[in-house]
Amino acid sequence: MRAFNAELSKLFSLPGIWLAFLIGAFAPVFIASMDSIAQKEEIIAGVSTRLPEVGYIGLALGVQGVIILGVLAVSSEYLAESSESGGGQQITTSLTVVSSRLHFLLAKAGAVTVISILLSVVAIITTLSATHLVLGEYTPAFDWLKLIGAVLYWTFTALLAFGITVLTKNGIIPLAVLIINTSVVSFSFLLSKVTKLALYLPDRAGAEMFMFTSDRFLTPFTGGLVMFAWVVVLFIAAAIVFHRRDVAS
Amino acid sequence: MLTINNLVKHRGNQEILSGISFKARPGRVTGFLGPNGAGKSSTLRILLGLDRATSGSALINGKPFAELHNPLATVGAALDGFGAHRMRTGRAHLRWIARAAGLSRSRVEEVLEIVGLTNAAGKRVGNYSLGMGRRLGIAAALLGDPKILVLDEPVNGLDPEGIRWIRTFLRERAQSGNTVLLSSHLMGELAETVDDVVIIKHGKIVADGTLEEVTGNHHTLEDAFFALTSEHTGDVV
Repeated sequence: MRAFNAELSKLFSLPGIWLAFLIGAFAPVFIASMDSIAQKEEIIAGVSTRLPEVGYIGLALGVQGVIILGVLAVSSEYLAESSESGGGQQITTSLTVVSSRLHFLLAKAGAVTVISILLSVVAIITTLSATHLVLGEYTPAFDWLKLIGAVLYWTFTALLAFGITVLTKNGIIPLAVLIINTSVVSFSFLLSKVTKLALYLPDRAGAEMFMFTSDRFLTPFTGGLVMFAWVVVLFIAAAIVFHRRDVAS
Repeated sequence: MLTINNLVKHRGNQEILSGISFKARPGRVTGFLGPNGAGKSSTLRILLGLDRATSGSALINGKPFAELHNPLATVGAALDGFGAHRMRTGRAHLRWIARAAGLSRSRVEEVLEIVGLTNAAGKRVGNYSLGMGRRLGIAAALLGDPKILVLDEPVNGLDPEGIRWIRTFLRERAQSGNTVLLSSHLMGELAETVDDVVIIKHGKIVADGTLEEVTGNHHTLEDAFFALTSEHTGDVV
């Protein structure tokens, strides 16, 4: 519990984390509002084909906030100090304060999970309010299960970003790949054109929890389970590598 | 008490430590000396559980680091660099460490006072001078008021005043029964601070004893050091 408190304290005292909060809290509401405004006429006329996506589209794209959170939680440990100061890293301090590496990793993952849940709840509240504001009485009813699905999607995504960064020790690669994947081109979407197996990739399977996809393959529950399995496997791999690694290397 | 027993470390094909053994005892300042790349930092890293030994053991009060219940209250360490994220303030850095060890915020202010960083505590670590960063590292090591201190090159980058401060400070710690192990390549500074000396060269211990024993017939510790660590040891002595 102490280690968990320390991890929360570390995250909140890192200026970069406020960027994650800013994006997490405002990107979904911005995207959802733009989308609702664009679709408003079709929705009122009752001809919109994307009605089930209203609002959720923001939550799917706004997940970048927690990606930054997951990556930064780990990459900040490995950020090298200036060579003038001897090129130290915070990780040496972290591991001389908490003697068990597994405890350290669990505490950090716990802190990322809690912040992700809070951030996704904030994003849902702002997104739903904005959608109501734009569409008024035409706002489609939101399904509780889907909203819980969105919370899980955000949390799992943050943990995937966390696990990948433990393996790479550097934030740039996971940040670039994951942000591009969620905003510009979805690699799993491209791959799914080649093989159906790509539908089991974590981002795609997880999206089934709350997004309406025209070629639905997994039920929301199975989709969530598949994404969770990815999180567990990646965490175990990260824990094994982290446990065996020399911090100096 | 710190006990290093037959420690071996391989990295790739290289043997960095070839079976080194020594002790650092309570009530004494032990200086761990050696040229750059001799294996000083590797030894300290293994002792603190940061790196894994290929074989042998490094024990803190008879236990490996990973088995310590509350490490911060047992052993305080300051290794290379500041060990802090440069975007955080010095105070925020010490506060998260204090949380991890279940210590109060007032303890943070105490250690800031001890190392003389109170006025700079609100500044980001990235703006610290080398000397301030070293003081921050020592403040972190002192948070849990441990009986054992492990410091890697503590006087590196300190100004004369800082060097004097750390010398007095470490002597006081040892006199009140604590164990202090510090590594250095600065002989002159060390001779005035340490009680015991361990000299390492190419991953092997070449001298181990009290300051007088190791200095032996040589004029100064520095002379003894060069006699023991130069490539043609036989010629010099």
